[in-house]
Amino acid sequence: MIDSSPQRFASRCRWKLPGGGRVATMFLVIGLGITASSGRAQQVPLLPTPSGLKKLSLEQLMDIEVTSVSKRPERLSEAASAIQVVTGDDIRRAGATSLPEALRGASNLEVAQIDSRQWAISARGFNNLFADKLLVLIDGRTVYTPLYAGVYWDVQDVVLEDLKQIEVISGPGATQWGANAVNGVINITTKSAKETQGALVAGGVGSELQQSETVRYGGQLAPGIFYRVYAKYFDRGNSVRPSGLNSNDAWRMGQAGFRVDWEQPLDTTFTLQGDAYDATMGQVGPDNIRASGDNVLGRWSRSFGDGSDVKLQVYYDHTHRRIPGSFTQDVDTYDLDFQHHRSLGPVHDFVWGFGYRLVEDAIVNTPANAFLPPSAGQQLFSAFAQDEITLRQDRLHLTVGTKVEHTEYTGVEFEPSVRLAWTPGAEQTIWSAISRAVRTPSRIDRDLYSPATPPYRIAGGSNVVSEKLTAYELGYRAQVSPQLALSVATFFNDYSNLRSLEPLNPPLAFPVEQSSGLRGHSAGAELTADWRVTSAWRLRAGYTELRVHSEPNPGTQDRSTRDSIGRDPNHQVSLHSLLDLSARWECDADLRYVGPIANQNLPGYTEADARLGWRPNAAWELSLDGQNLLHKHHPEFNSPGSRREIQRGVYGKATWSF
Amino acid sequence: MELLKFILPGCVARPVRRGGLLLLVAVAGLAGARAENKPAPAAISAEYRVKAGFLFNFLQFVEWPERAFSAAQAPIVIGVLGEDPFDGYLDELVQGEKVGERPIVVRRFRRGEDIAECHILFISGSEAGQFANIMPALAGRSILTVGDGDGFVRAGGMVRFAIENGKIRLRINPDAAKASGLAISSKLLRLATLVTPENG
Repeated sequence: MIDSSPQRFASRCRWKLPGGGRVATMFLVIGLGITASSGRAQQVPLLPTPSGLKKLSLEQLMDIEVTSVSKRPERLSEAASAIQVVTGDDIRRAGATSLPEALRGASNLEVAQIDSRQWAISARGFNNLFADKLLVLIDGRTVYTPLYAGVYWDVQDVVLEDLKQIEVISGPGATQWGANAVNGVINITTKSAKETQGALVAGGVGSELQQSETVRYGGQLAPGIFYRVYAKYFDRGNSVRPSGLNSNDAWRMGQAGFRVDWEQPLDTTFTLQGDAYDATMGQVGPDNIRASGDNVLGRWSRSFGDGSDVKLQVYYDHTHRRIPGSFTQDVDTYDLDFQHHRSLGPVHDFVWGFGYRLVEDAIVNTPANAFLPPSAGQQLFSAFAQDEITLRQDRLHLTVGTKVEHTEYTGVEFEPSVRLAWTPGAEQTIWSAISRAVRTPSRIDRDLYSPATPPYRIAGGSNVVSEKLTAYELGYRAQVSPQLALSVATFFNDYSNLRSLEPLNPPLAFPVEQSSGLRGHSAGAELTADWRVTSAWRLRAGYTELRVHSEPNPGTQDRSTRDSIGRDPNHQVSLHSLLDLSARWECDADLRYVGPIANQNLPGYTEADARLGWRPNAAWELSLDGQNLLHKHHPEFNSPGSRREIQRGVYGKATWSF
Repeated sequence: MELLKFILPGCVARPVRRGGLLLLVAVAGLAGARAENKPAPAAISAEYRVKAGFLFNFLQFVEWPERAFSAAQAPIVIGVLGEDPFDGYLDELVQGEKVGERPIVVRRFRRGEDIAECHILFISGSEAGQFANIMPALAGRSILTVGDGDGFVRAGGMVRFAIENGKIRLRINPDAAKASGLAISSKLLRLATLVTPENG
């Protein structure tokens, strides 16, 4: 937190949900919109007719399944969810220089930059620094810190050129993914070593991203065994205070890593990969923050002739962070994950698995606040089973499943879900889901004391139990024509046991302890459109409407009501334009509007990014990028006192691949 | 919970029938529009339809030297050597299309010796046994050779269609294209696996 203000104990939002009538009207408008556009799309032929096909890009052509494959092309359960995919090429063309910036490409996320290196990222509300209801994975490795259940976004990095895609699922994914996949899942995957052969050297200079260098080399060790190694470094400038004064949070980070993929013909793949990083970050206070970490992951998968496949993954992850004046933390995670999938005839498709995780931490406390005990080891056992049932071939699919977890704080937790996908025609899907998800307590919920010795003002949270969500979702997705895809996802989330602060000796305000005395609900709609206007011009648009409400349970004396456990805008709009000026020139622009965050007195804002890219030949790419162009500096998060503002940035980049 | 009824009408109890109804009405127009669409006339496989799409797309990503054209306004020619697996679909695809000022035409050749002015040549699977004879005849001409099958690049072909996980992937020998005076754009190369005759 503790690197930042104690905003975690924030208060509860005072927003009321709009009248149901308004929601219903919104829904109707969405429906009419679709009807209207489908009327215009009347002349557009089905995909394989010549006039439709010739409008497709190379990438789209490569995406068409021309033969059926034994493995299903996508998880049906995901087809019945609010999934958005941001591809590596989308990220390159957005001019993104970090993973959080790349996540702005998914309109179902709330992405707010807090200062030069900290981000608040969530889906479907309850956003905050260390938003704790989102599961984030990089190549299968969970990257939220078990101390807070939130993500240190500053040290999550990959070679963006090697990024394959980012899948963002808004809504619970607990059955498949497990605890913390309450409001959403971000699944970041990099390309295989086979797909990143050859050398890549990239360098950039700019005003905010002051310098960045990346070197990657991919080669072949033996027939079928591919590898890549990389190293990268960057230096980022300060954010500013609202007055324009420098806020002393410039930082720099270096990272290196490798990946080896061994593909045996047809049935077996083995992946071994690892990364290590080291970062120095400015802060207001006595000394810089130092963060470092390393991880190594092995994954083995094999498919068998009978349509079944197995996957076994193990990883080790170590993170270290020293925050002068606050904590020094070391966290070791050991994780094992096994999955077996088997198709049982044409109707049932069954997948089950189990996992084990051991997290050991060691914290050096300071007099101001402390994790007690200062070190702990926790084991997590989990198992899941899921059946995808084809009720009508190619038309109606039902997915039922549950995850069972055992945590040391809360014992056994069940996270079942039911998903139904109805595909009335090849180009449209209507889906619906009811799921239950939990956020199990993390160390900060149970073990945080302030000050470090009695008498405490904040005295742990021995009564904190798992936050529980029941989520109801309904969505619609249509490929209206080869050029136009639309989706709508709506949801109603019902939460209980949200975190509260209870006075121990009322009516005295302090001491308080953390408890689970709040409940809440949220509702919203996420709309997307992807339109290939011409073969050279593509537009992606997103609109998200959200209402979040929380309140104390009867009988609790929650003290956290002045702030908020979530800081969410009610509306977000984004528009991405990708234009090929010629085979060599690209001109791309992003525009985003984020509505006011009322409980932070934060005004809404509009910002724009632009990029001009030039490929003089096969080996070189040069680009000029502008970020946050509309204001000299603007705030995206936090209440006025602790607010930092993000400055306009310009950078140039050259990439040489050979 | 009352709100739920507005947001997900009937959905909680009966997800399909009633939950979908509102949207169903909304998309009825769409379904109507679809019914009027006839399926593509020719009964050719999705594989060759998509391959035809690739051939058409290649025109944008390859530059030919001036000498490859007999006149400034001469058409750009996609040739098919051997049995035509596209069955008229390719002709339909390029009809009325132009690259710059040049119209696009499809020509069929029965034997390697017949090949007149040509810019992209799809060598049909029927010629698989003949690759070694065909390629030398094309040497020195600025023709982008495209084909299927394992031996295609080994025999000197430039672009091979391969199918992986049910989808079409490109394997390109950039050196062969360069030797024939063709410039393939980096965008196309980036989407392809670059190969040599040894590993193609």
